[in-house]
Formats: sequence, C-alpha cells, structure tokens
Amino acid sequence: MFFWLLAALLTLAASLAVMKPFLRKADKDAAAGEHDIAVYRDQLRELDEEVRRGLISESDAAEARAEIGRKILRLTKAQEKSGAAPQHAKLAGAIAMAAVLAVPVVSWGLYAMLGSPGLPTLPLQARLQQDPSGASLDELIARTEAHLADNPEDARGWEVLAPVYARLGRYGDAIAAYRRTIALAGATADREAGLGEAMVGQSGGVVTADAEAAFRRAMDLDKANSRARFYTAMARAQEGRHEEARAIWQEMSESLPDDSPWKGVAGQALANLAAAQQQRAGAGAAGPSQEDIAAAGNMEPEARQEMIEGMVASLDAKLRDNPADPEGWRRLLRSYVVLGRRGEAADALGRALAALGAESAEGQALTEFAGTLGITAVR
Amino acid sequence: MTRKQKRLAIIGTGMGFLALAAGLTFYALGQQTSYFYMPADLLSQHAAAGERIRLGGLVQPGSIKRGEGTRVRFVVADSENEVEVVYQGILPDLFREEQGVVTEGTLGSDGVFVADTVLAKHDETYMPREVAERLKEEGVWQEQ
Amino acid sequence: MSVELGHFALVLALALALVQSAAPLMGARIGSLPLMRVGEPVAITGFALVAAAFAALVLAYVQSDFSVLNVWENSHSAKPLLFKITGAWGNHEGSMLLWVLILALFGALVAAFGRNLPPTLKANVLAVQGLIASAFLLFILFTSNPFNRLQPAPIEGRDLNPILQDIGLAIHPPLLYLGYVGFSISFSFAVAALIEGRIDAAWARWVRPWTLAAWAFLTGGIAMGSYWAYYELGWGGFWFWDPVENASFLPWLSGTALLHSAIVMEKRSALKIWTVLLAILTFSLSLLGTFLVRSGVLTSVHTFASDPTRGVFILAILVFFIGGALALFAVRAAALAPGGLFHPISREGALVLNNLLLTTAAATVLVGTLYPLLIEALTGEKISVGAPFFNLTFVPLFLPLLVAVPFGPLLAWKRGDLLAAAQRLQIAFAAAALSGIVSYFLMDRASAFAALGLALGLWLIFGALTDLCLKIGIGKVPPSVALGRLAGLPLSMFGTALAHAGLGLTALGVVAVTTLEAESILTMRPGQVAEIGGYSLTFENLRPFTGPNYTEDRAVFAVTGEGGASLGEIVSSKRFYAARGMPTTEAGIRTFGLSQLYVSIGDETASGLVVRIWWKPLVTLIWLGALVMMVGGAVSLFDRRLRVGVPARRKLAVAAAGEGA
Repeated sequence: MFFWLLAALLTLAASLAVMKPFLRKADKDAAAGEHDIAVYRDQLRELDEEVRRGLISESDAAEARAEIGRKILRLTKAQEKSGAAPQHAKLAGAIAMAAVLAVPVVSWGLYAMLGSPGLPTLPLQARLQQDPSGASLDELIARTEAHLADNPEDARGWEVLAPVYARLGRYGDAIAAYRRTIALAGATADREAGLGEAMVGQSGGVVTADAEAAFRRAMDLDKANSRARFYTAMARAQEGRHEEARAIWQEMSESLPDDSPWKGVAGQALANLAAAQQQRAGAGAAGPSQEDIAAAGNMEPEARQEMIEGMVASLDAKLRDNPADPEGWRRLLRSYVVLGRRGEAADALGRALAALGAESAEGQALTEFAGTLGITAVR
Repeated sequence: MTRKQKRLAIIGTGMGFLALAAGLTFYALGQQTSYFYMPADLLSQHAAAGERIRLGGLVQPGSIKRGEGTRVRFVVADSENEVEVVYQGILPDLFREEQGVVTEGTLGSDGVFVADTVLAKHDETYMPREVAERLKEEGVWQEQ
Repeated sequence: MSVELGHFALVLALALALVQSAAPLMGARIGSLPLMRVGEPVAITGFALVAAAFAALVLAYVQSDFSVLNVWENSHSAKPLLFKITGAWGNHEGSMLLWVLILALFGALVAAFGRNLPPTLKANVLAVQGLIASAFLLFILFTSNPFNRLQPAPIEGRDLNPILQDIGLAIHPPLLYLGYVGFSISFSFAVAALIEGRIDAAWARWVRPWTLAAWAFLTGGIAMGSYWAYYELGWGGFWFWDPVENASFLPWLSGTALLHSAIVMEKRSALKIWTVLLAILTFSLSLLGTFLVRSGVLTSVHTFASDPTRGVFILAILVFFIGGALALFAVRAAALAPGGLFHPISREGALVLNNLLLTTAAATVLVGTLYPLLIEALTGEKISVGAPFFNLTFVPLFLPLLVAVPFGPLLAWKRGDLLAAAQRLQIAFAAAALSGIVSYFLMDRASAFAALGLALGLWLIFGALTDLCLKIGIGKVPPSVALGRLAGLPLSMFGTALAHAGLGLTALGVVAVTTLEAESILTMRPGQVAEIGGYSLTFENLRPFTGPNYTEDRAVFAVTGEGGASLGEIVSSKRFYAARGMPTTEAGIRTFGLSQLYVSIGDETASGLVVRIWWKPLVTLIWLGALVMMVGGAVSLFDRRLRVGVPARRKLAVAAAGEGA
C-alpha cells in the first residue's frame, strides 16, 4: 500500500514537472539575433585584448574588426526581415494536455506489465537473522558458512557441512571441508572415506588415484570401513579386475549386518557387474566400464564422450604412423579400457609390442602396465 | 590565391590523405591479417609454413608437457586432426586440458605450430567464439 | 520495496523522456514558448528519477538482495563492500543504466545551465536528448532490465567476474561513459541546428565546452582502461588494438577533430557544415562503440553480453540515430550559410590539416575494427586484424600530425607565415633533436627509431612551451612584464599548451616502452636471482594467503638496485576465486621514478616457478600524459570566455547603452 502511495507521489511530481512552464507567467525571451550580437561583441573585445598583447598586428586587427562588423550588419538586416513567430495557443494547450496525461498512462501501464509490485526486498542480512526453523537447506548452509567464515577453526562445523556439500553435488567444497576437518581434528576412517567419495564425485564417478589413496588411508585406520571397501572394489572393477571387485562386494553383501545401507549397495553392484558381464559375453563390445562412464555421464554432457572418442581415434591413428611412443601407447591403452573397448586395447597392445619389441625394456614395462589394466596382447 | 584555388588546395590535400590512408589500409589488410584455422582445416587447406595464423581447438588431455624452463608443448585438437604446439612463456590462467584455446603464431615446416600468443577463454562461460562455433558445427561441444 | 520503487522510477523516467522528445520539438515548430520550456523541468526531473533507480540498484547490491536477478548473477555476499557497489555497473544491465544516468545528467545540465541559450535551439537540443534517452530506456526496460526479480530468492550469488573486481572498474566505465555520452550534447546541438536550418554564432560557443568536457572525460576513461588492462590482465601490455579499445578510441579521434574544428567555427565562423558533420559522426562512433561492446558481436576479452535480441535492438537504435541525423544533414546542410575565408597556410588551415589527419586515422581504425566482422558476415572466413595492421596504417597517419602540432598555435588566423613559425620553433626543434642524438649515443639500448621517437615526444613538449613563451613575450619584454602577462593569459591558452604537452608525454612513454623495454621469462626457485634493467630480483618464497572471497599463492621477490641497496619487495600472486572456480593472475608492480618493474607469475614446474619480468622504462608517462591532457581540457573549460557563453539580455542592454554614451 505504502509502495503505491509513493509511486503515486512520484507520478504527481513528474506530471507537475511537465506542467511547470504553464503555471508561471510567460516572459518574452530575447530574439535569437541578440544572442549572436553578444558573441560578436565578445569577439571584438578579445581582438582588442590580442592587440594589446601584441599577438596580432594593428592592420590585421582592423581587417578582423571590419569582418565582424559586416556580420553584425548582415544579422540586423536579417532580423528586420523576419517577423514574429506565429502563435498557436490552442494547439499548444492540447499538446500540453496530452503530454501531462501521457506521464501517468505510460508509467503505470508499463509498470503493470514489467514490475513485480508485491515482491519485498530481501536483504541477505535480514534473511539470515530470521527464525531458522522455517529456513531452507540453502539458508542453513549459508548460516553455517557465515559462522565458519568467522570461526574457521571450528572442526565440528566443517564436519557437518562436508557431507551436505557432497549430497548437493558441490564436490569441490566437500573436498575442501573434509580436508579442513582432517587438518583441524585429525584423520578418522569416516573422514578419509568421505574425502575419497567426494573425489570420486568430482571426477564423475571414476575412482582416481588420489581417491584410492584416501580409501587406503581410511582402511589403514579401520579395516572394516564399508565406504572405503565399496569404492576400493569399484576401483578394481573400473580397472577391469572384475574378480577382485566381485570378491570384495560378495564379502560385503554376505557379512554386513542387515541394517547396514552398504549391504544393499554392494548387492546392487554385484548384480550390475554380473549383468554387464553377461551382456559383454553376448554383444562383445560394451563392457561394464562403459556403464560406469554412462553413470558418470549423468553430469557430463554426452558430447564430452564423443569428443574423447574422437581424440582416442586420432591418437590411435597417430600411433599407427609413429609407433615409437611408449607414453602414447600407455595413454591409448588406458583410454580404451576406460571406454570399455577391451578388445581394441588388446589389439593395440599387440601392435605396440610389435613396434617396440616385446623383449625391450619399453615393451616389458608396457606389458606390465597392461597387466594392471587386465589386458594381454592378442597375437 | 583565389577562393577557388584555396578550396582546391584543401580538397586536394584531403583527397591526398584519403588516398594515402586507403592505400595503406589495403596494403595492410593484404599483409597483416591472420586467418583462423582449426586443426581439421590444416588437413584440407594448407597454410604456408611461416604464414602468421591463428589456430584454435581443444587442448588434448594429457598432452601438456613442460620442457626445460618456460617452454611448453601441448596438442590442440578437434575431432578430425591434432596439431602439436610449442610455446614459450606464461600460459593464461584458464589454460586447461579439454578447454578451448586460441593460439597465434606460425606453422613450422615440421608441422609443429610455434605460438607466440596463447589466449584461453577468459571466464567459465566464455569460450573463444571461433572455436565454440566450429566445435558446435562438428557436434563435439555443447554449451553447458 | 526500494527495488520496485527504483523500477517504477525508471519507467516513469521513460514516460518523461517521451514527453521531453515530443513537446519541446512541437513547441519550437508552432512557436509556443511555454511548450518549448517543458523540456527544462522534465529533463531535470527525469535525471532525478534515473538517479533514484540507479541508487535503488546499488542499494540492492550493497544489501546482497538476491531476489534481484541481476544481483544474484553478479554479486556474492563475501565480496568486499567496494566491489559490491562497483559490481552494480560491472555487468551489462547495470552498465546500460549507468549510461542512461549519465545521459540524463547531461540533459539536466543543459536544462539547468543553458539559461542563455536561444529558446528554440534549447528546445530542440533537449528534444533530441529526450529521444536518445527514450530509445535507451526502452532498450533497458525491454531487453536488459536490471530490476527483474527472482523467486524464490537464492541464498548466495554467483559472484562478479574476478577480473572485474578491481578499483579500476570503479572509475573506468563512469569516466568512459561521461565521455561517450557527453558527445551526445554536441550531437543534439548539431541535429537541432539542422532542424532549425540555421546556425547561430552562439552555437559553436555552446558546443565547444560540452565537447571539451566530454573529450577530457573520454581521455581519462581511455587512459584508465589502458592502465587497468595493463596491471589486471597480467600481460604487461598497455594497448592491444582490441575492438573494444578501438570502440572508445574512435570517438576520441573524431572528438579531438571536433574540438579543433569547433574552435575555427567559433572564432572565424568557418567550417560550419564540417563541424556539424563531425558532431554527428563523433556521437555516431560512440553509439557504434556501445553497439560493438553491448551486442556481443565481437570476440573480445571485454564482451560479456551475448544475447542477439539485444544486438538487434541496439542496431535499430544505431541505424535510427545515425541514419536519421545523416539524412537530415543531407537535406539541410546546404541551408547553412558558408563561413569566412582563409588562406591554406593559417591557423584555420592548420586546424583543417589536423582534422584531415585525425579523421583519416579514425577511418583506418574503423576499417580495421569492422573488416573482420564484414568478412565473416560475407564469406564466413574468420580473420583477425591486430597490432601489425594498425602499426602500418594508423601510425604513419598519426606521426605527421604529431610533427605538425607545435606549428598550429603559432600560425595567425586567416593568413599565417609558416616560415616565421618555423623560425620561432628553432630552439624547440634544436633541443628535441639534440636530446634524440644524445640519447642515441648515450643509452646502450637505444635504437635509431627510439631516438627519433624520443625526439618527437620532446618536440611536442618543447613546442608547447615555446608557444607559451611567445605568448607572454619572453625575451622581448622584461621578465617582470612577462610574468604579469603569464598571469593574465587566458586559461584556454594554458589548456592548449597542456594538452599538446600531454600528447608529447604520452608519445614519449609509448616510444620508450615499445623500443627500450626489457623482458625476461624464466623459472626460478627460492633464493634464485634475476637481473633486469639494472635491478636484481631475488625470489624469496611462495606463500599461501586467504582473502575475503579468494585464496592465493603469493610469490615474494626482494628488489635490490645497483650497488646492492635494498628497494623493498614485489609481490605477485595467483588467485583463485572459489565462487566462479576461476583463477586470476595479480601482477606485482613497483614504480621507480617514471619507470616500472612488472612481475607476473605462472605455474610451478619441475624446474621452479615460471616468472615473467619486464622492465618498463618511462611507462607511467603514457598515463601521466593522458592525465595532463585531461587537466588541459579542464583548464580550458574554466576559461572565462567559455563559461560566459552569451551574456544575458539585461547585461547586453547595459553594455549597448554604455557604448552608445
């Protein structure tokens, strides 16, 4: 209500501004010519000044004076010719009326179209001081963040925040929060495993070396940590060492108590693994890692995969032309395994060994590397 | 000088400058502009070795190699081709794997591109325009 | 409520701008004095309303009101207060609102201080201003509304692009816009003159101070932008011939030409048609700049807006105003009476030469800026036109201008004596040439080109001094008289000398940096020492630091001069802004005299930290020169002769009576 009152007052002020010239008595202004004469008179004065300074010779000055004089003469003649401008008082009144009316019509009409008059301002400070019971998750996080900005040594706060970040997909923040917690309050199996899980989230579902190191630290602290065990198995599965993965998951789904959430998750993973292997046996091409990538692909645009495949293809082509590049072969093998194209990986290994020599140091290193991926050469 | 001559003198000078400017402009446009290439373009149209061009594409994952000191090698790729680039200096803040990049320099006779300027996209939402358009045409990149 | 009130004020300002563009124009047409006067209170009220809208937006930023879409997109609660405020115009919508605010400010100034303007001229000027304001307010409200709301409101913003979180941003756009938009006044005056079909002698007297003010602000804005890019982008360059930079440089070139041709018009009533055309072209180039920057048609580090509807809208505004004004010019220009005569060798002739060189130079920059866009539109081929093109076209056209500058003020009006002017400049020429020769032999790195460039810069400075000395008659009259004359010299003469000398300083800085700069790229480990420009930098350590909304790694370098004297340290850092996940490089800069050491760091590699160090001799002169030019403009502006404008009628009557007696 108060808003509309203020808006009405503003509109009134604007309309008054339009009306102002009509509200006071008209005084006649000087004709345009008089303004010109003033300028010429100024110029004559400047000319005198320049003569006084010796910047211009007396004869030049005389010439300039004559020229200005001629201009003044011409102007006076022109003024005598032109009569007074016509007056259309009625028309002017109508135009003024239209102008005054246009102000409220245009402004209120447009504002009704564009504005959100009901929406109050929401300064952040005021929002954060409201009763927390009705606050959204985002608001609670913001409160905690504000608290931690003032008390960065509060390990408890970081520990609460870390899994919330991970849940929301803010993996970078989650990793930072876990690291902070570990730095302030020391490592526990849960914290390390949480850190590893956030890293897995950040890399789109792939268990990276950093993540695996975190899981290993967790299991050093507590051999039975379910989260760490689960992801260690996933790391094996992603490397293609399915039997090792199966063994861990099998053990988890059998030995964990029924109320553990990890029991079901491990069982599901086992089922996925079996289904994927069956499919692979049938179709040959698609492997389980393909699905891992597809799972990761929930966040990644499909285009990225296409791009990676394009790059892998060009890397393959390049290595055909120039095979003396062990680092390149290594990259190619790893890429094929991640893409789930194990057959092609094996084929590539064969070509690499043929080019580098299976008995050479480089060849042996490559064979060993392929072994960690579960690849042996076809030949 | 008569009035006419004075006016001619001024107009003549003006025309002279315009002609000079036009001449310089045409010469410079012929000599001093650089064309933009994607790696795929280098397969079909050959850029002369030593000609100054701009090369854009994605930085291939795993291809960034630091040499001695400040020398950097990396591979700029699109879906069809890839080009090795050498550059000496500080890479821009947003130079990363799988990110768009535009480099400026000359293509050596050995097929390695020697860049003297590397421009990476300047914020998270901005991809070098030429690169973004071409990659979209090729269907390998989409706006997030 | 303040947000919605700001929104309403903006809509109301549009309504007033529409009235302002129609009523005074019709009033002038039918000769109704009250109707003509409507423009004045409306312009002032309109400015107050836009200012209120702008204040509401700034308040929303300060309070981190994320229910405003624009605030959410460009702010963050952890940002320092200063950057919350400047963030209000660090984005497309906010910067357009600033643009209109400054436009409204200029309109209000004309309304408030234009008491002595002929009423029809004033009415038409305000009407054209109102028309421009209407177009841009419509643009803001329908395509770039900063007051769009977001519901439910997010709890945290997305933060401003870190490279824009800088004090330079607080100053650069407002200065630049004061320049850009300031030229709208000369444009409005030109269009008003064409509508009336006549140009009063008072016209040039009125246009000149506005042009001068706009020019001074634009000079400052460009210099500020150049310095911002220099220290913030971390590449150590001061000018990139980037299309966005060109967009601000083009109106500067033609505005400089306008400034000079307006002098001819005021003093000699000559070059009327040309001046009107230049006034139209200058603001057209400002509009073109706004279009290039705001429509996103460019590939450029400055382009943050990329919505095609906006581009088309601005293009329509561009076509309407430029096309309309030029069409009006084509129809009406012949009606403007031709002015006085002059000999080619005269002050007028010199100013014509200045105009020719400036406009052709501007034309080459325009071609270089638009050519890639044109080629892409026509053939789809993408090319880039960079520094080599401009070095080959702009520089050869600008150099003769620099050589000619000292001659101009020494030539007499109407008919000058080139030989006499040259004789008077002998000392300045000799001093400049001697300095060039000495520097060539004394400084070990100086090339012939550097020596020539230094001589050219000094030639401009000495030439400006010579002009002042001659005006006060040093050598001809006793020193006490000369001193008295110096005190009585019109301010505009100091302004001229300062502006020309400032140009010389900038030229000196540019030449020194481009020819004498030393650069070194290397990897350093703690304890390692790099030598450059006679200084030694010892890399001490790399230590982490946490700022309000970023974390950074700071590399600290100890600087020692010749002889091992400690000169403090330089800190350069790599910052990471978490909200946008974006890293930036903060260059470390230390000023020694007029020169600077500039350190920028890269990644850590196996062999140490990548470090790039520049020794930039006399680099600060580039911006100091621009500052001197700006001061010159300001000094001129305070000249009594410019401020008086046209005496009021009563005074005139008294003066006439006095003369008659």
